[in-house]
Amino acid sequence: MREEYRLLLPAVAVLALLVAVPTFYLFYTSFLNWFLRDPEGPTFGGLNNYIRLIQSGDFRISLVVTLIFSAASVSISLLIGLGLALLFSEKLRGRNIMRTLLVMPIVLPPVVVGFTWKFILSSEVGIIGAYFMRLIGLGDISLLGDPTLALASVIMADIWGKMPLPFLIFLAGIAAIPPIYYESAMIDGASRWHTFKSITLPHLHKPLIVALILRTIDAFNSFDVIFVMTKGGPGMATHTLPMLGWKVGFYYFDIGMASAIGVLLLLLVIAVSMPLVRRISR
Amino acid sequence: MKLSRRALLGALGGLIGGVAVGAAVGWTAKPEAPARTVTVTGAERTVTQYVTAPPREKAAITIIAFAQGFAWPELFGSDGTIETDLLKKFEEREAVDIAIEWGDEWAVREKVASDVTARVGKYDIVLVGSDGAVQAYGYAGYLEPLDEYFTKYPQEYFDQNDVYKSFLDANRIEGTLYALPYYSFGPGVIYRRDLFERYDAELPKDNWSTDDLEVALEKISEGLKRDGLTDTYALTMRAGPGEEPTLDLAGFIYAYAGYPAWFEGGAIWPSEIKQNKAKPILDSSDFEAGFRAFTDWVKRFGPPGASTHTWVDMMNLYAQGKAAVLMPSAINGYAALGITQDENVKRYTKFMLTPFGPGRKRINSYWTFSLGINKFSKNKEAAWRVLTYLTGRDSMEAFAERTMWPNVTMRSVLYSYPLIKKYGIEEIELNERSVVENPAIYFPYISELDLFMDKVGTMASDVVAGSKTVENALSELQKWATDLMSSRGYYT
Amino acid sequence: MVRTTPLKFFMYLLASIIVTLSVFPIAWIVIASFKTMHQVFQMPPQLVFEPTFDNYRRLLFGGQLMNAFFNSLVISILTVTVSLVLGIPTAYSLSVLKNRVGRNVSFWILSVRMAPAFAVIIPYFILMYYLKLIDTIWAVIVTYLTFAIPFQTWLLKITFEELPRELEEAALIDGATKSSALFRIILPNAAPMIASASILTFVLAWNEFLMAFILTSRDARTVPVLITALSGTHKLDWPIMAAITTVSMIPAFAFITFVQRYLIKGLTMGAVK
Repeated sequence: MREEYRLLLPAVAVLALLVAVPTFYLFYTSFLNWFLRDPEGPTFGGLNNYIRLIQSGDFRISLVVTLIFSAASVSISLLIGLGLALLFSEKLRGRNIMRTLLVMPIVLPPVVVGFTWKFILSSEVGIIGAYFMRLIGLGDISLLGDPTLALASVIMADIWGKMPLPFLIFLAGIAAIPPIYYESAMIDGASRWHTFKSITLPHLHKPLIVALILRTIDAFNSFDVIFVMTKGGPGMATHTLPMLGWKVGFYYFDIGMASAIGVLLLLLVIAVSMPLVRRISR
Repeated sequence: MKLSRRALLGALGGLIGGVAVGAAVGWTAKPEAPARTVTVTGAERTVTQYVTAPPREKAAITIIAFAQGFAWPELFGSDGTIETDLLKKFEEREAVDIAIEWGDEWAVREKVASDVTARVGKYDIVLVGSDGAVQAYGYAGYLEPLDEYFTKYPQEYFDQNDVYKSFLDANRIEGTLYALPYYSFGPGVIYRRDLFERYDAELPKDNWSTDDLEVALEKISEGLKRDGLTDTYALTMRAGPGEEPTLDLAGFIYAYAGYPAWFEGGAIWPSEIKQNKAKPILDSSDFEAGFRAFTDWVKRFGPPGASTHTWVDMMNLYAQGKAAVLMPSAINGYAALGITQDENVKRYTKFMLTPFGPGRKRINSYWTFSLGINKFSKNKEAAWRVLTYLTGRDSMEAFAERTMWPNVTMRSVLYSYPLIKKYGIEEIELNERSVVENPAIYFPYISELDLFMDKVGTMASDVVAGSKTVENALSELQKWATDLMSSRGYYT
Repeated sequence: MVRTTPLKFFMYLLASIIVTLSVFPIAWIVIASFKTMHQVFQMPPQLVFEPTFDNYRRLLFGGQLMNAFFNSLVISILTVTVSLVLGIPTAYSLSVLKNRVGRNVSFWILSVRMAPAFAVIIPYFILMYYLKLIDTIWAVIVTYLTFAIPFQTWLLKITFEELPRELEEAALIDGATKSSALFRIILPNAAPMIASASILTFVLAWNEFLMAFILTSRDARTVPVLITALSGTHKLDWPIMAAITTVSMIPAFAFITFVQRYLIKGLTMGAVK
């Protein structure tokens, strides 16, 4: 056993060092009343920030938006990623180049993803938002100006940009399945569906959970794409928790409250991923 | 087979590792590159002169700003990264060493906030806008008061008397000056004369009212529909969420109520509010009048995506010839004029003062792109010299010459030959009047202004998008404002 | 497996449609990089137009691109390398340790990655400022490791766990040491996941904006920071942004193409008879 613990040490030490200060700072400032607008510095506020936060309508709205956004983005990107991974694990001609192309969206910085889709979906100059919509007679509808459609649009942009993550993870997962299983299945004359269900899927159990966790973390923390596309609007239709945290911290200059939002967001993500982690740690 | 795959993997690992190590070594061994790349602009050449006297001790000044490439390209190049000869001359003359950092508006805020939180004082000169930043930083004590610098450190760049008073007022907190303006604007209406004439709408005139404008917009809007021009709109205004529209929206409120109808009695200074215990009146009929007019007009006459539009979208729409009227931040119309390739836009764009609202004040909109000195700066005197140069006459002239926008701070530059030649003396005079006749301060100048700008703007965006009614939005705003002001200790 | 021809055809069709949908916005960006600001906003959008190389000219002669590119490249490569070097032994030991310590450490490592960016920028800024690392690539790399190490560790951990124990045992019986077993048997079999995880880590490091922006000023600026600085809010210079993006896609494209061949089915030895 000793050797295993020794192998753990370097990474754990590095991480602990890097993470200690910010974590402590985050939790500590969340208990302070600290407005950069006030010439007097921070004062101790206890649970003040948390209480104000829970009571604030903005927080509730942002929470709901975050949950809807994350649920949709994560589930759909996972499904598409899985489907595509299965498809492109087969011997199709030109598969390599297709796979590289499919992975490209994640190469773009989220800011660029946001700008690209904002541009494409714009009701004034977008090839889809203006040209195509007018073509099919829906010129009055603004994809980014209507609250529901705006939310759908940012979700779609996020899916487009992040789908390669589950895609690559599943590709690797499928590649790791020893071909002997498939060979014996073929000998036994099993159907495609049966093979998928009893061989492929069980082997993808862990990659699925990990992809789910990673995507969930990303989705809950997603900021750049939404900020650039709609700035949280129209109104607060696409206003997520990270946007709230950013706004409260860097715009309202309420550092204490921003830290509180950060802590709550962190706890939320941990709460959602903990049961998932348990499932694969059995 | 086994061997070749392992070898490949090993090679890959070696390659990555080798590149990484090589890069790391190369990077650390790299000779300390000078912080700025020095290049030669145009046909001028730099000549090194050897002088016998030792060089003066240069004070290092760091600036943080947005609008890279747009602000001071005569100093920093069209991409904001070079050190032009002009800049070098200035540095020599004043014994300073200037480094400038750029970002977009939001990014700059983040950096400044980090700087303030850590009390680092990394940036000597900070870009502030008069729509929240000046107030936030000013009240927080982050900016250096500048009034006495004029007398203590006289300079020849920035002439207070040449500058329009309102632009300086916009940067005063309870009388103290905290920043100097670079380019700035007052309210105005930019419109397409040809579209007005085509649809038989009455042309904007000096003492017109908001009713007149509304009638004109209706005519144009209907006319456009009749002609089947579905991608052209009578009005382009910005109603994106956050603080985006609030500058303009506040101007509407001011015009319709006749005073800044945000707090009881029209109080706008913290001392006033505290003394008179002036509560917010955001759900009053005075505030509602302007708010309703603004959102109404955007909904009726503006493009469908307006609820997410920023000034960039507003400007682009006009530049493509797809709007008849752009208001009240007319500078965006001049910007559009600068980038447009549409012949009609170029030929028929005109400027007029904003109409009078029912409160007998003109619709307002003011903003200055100003610079302040960081209180924690270690080189304040040197920073002052840089500051006055950046906002001084030479810079203003260069700005006017390059952009051809009449949105300058100084009278002598507004009435300069290039601008008069482009717009004609009448339009220049109108621009001057818009700055002289309208007050720069038409909304509360309190430390929490940022929050109000953000909240009110987001509500407007909601109303324009159709998710809230004006009544609901305003009653929510009222509750929020009352809670905020109470919690900030104004009424105790 | 025997496949009927209509099914194969259908799969090709589906694949082509999806790839087109995925790629079209990227093609759009590349096209935009050859347009002027005016052309780019034309409605209806022009597919046939007179291209301009102005944007690329500005980029290449501006001088900033090379620097930003170099920074991004070094940062991304180092992030991947260091996180692999630290992650592999960690993943290995966690895949073996089935006790409470193992589970808790695993979860803790993952939770490190969960911190929201906006909440930790300021403490990192202060930390780096006092370590005098502001505006160096090291500050950026170090903060990136906080998400790269958990990422690599977890993906590799589950991969190691899935490998048949017999592989390792067979090697040990043959007289190999534990570490040589790791290198000669386990790692090659985990190649697909190492490839995927490396691609993703490289890409995520390449793209990260907020930390890179706050922690750098001029010298250590990365490509995403440059993109927003140049195209910014002021003019929304879409063509320039498109040009930088196109150029910045090239290294990632190359990296992915090269590493991709490890994502082949049946790479596993299947040495279990």
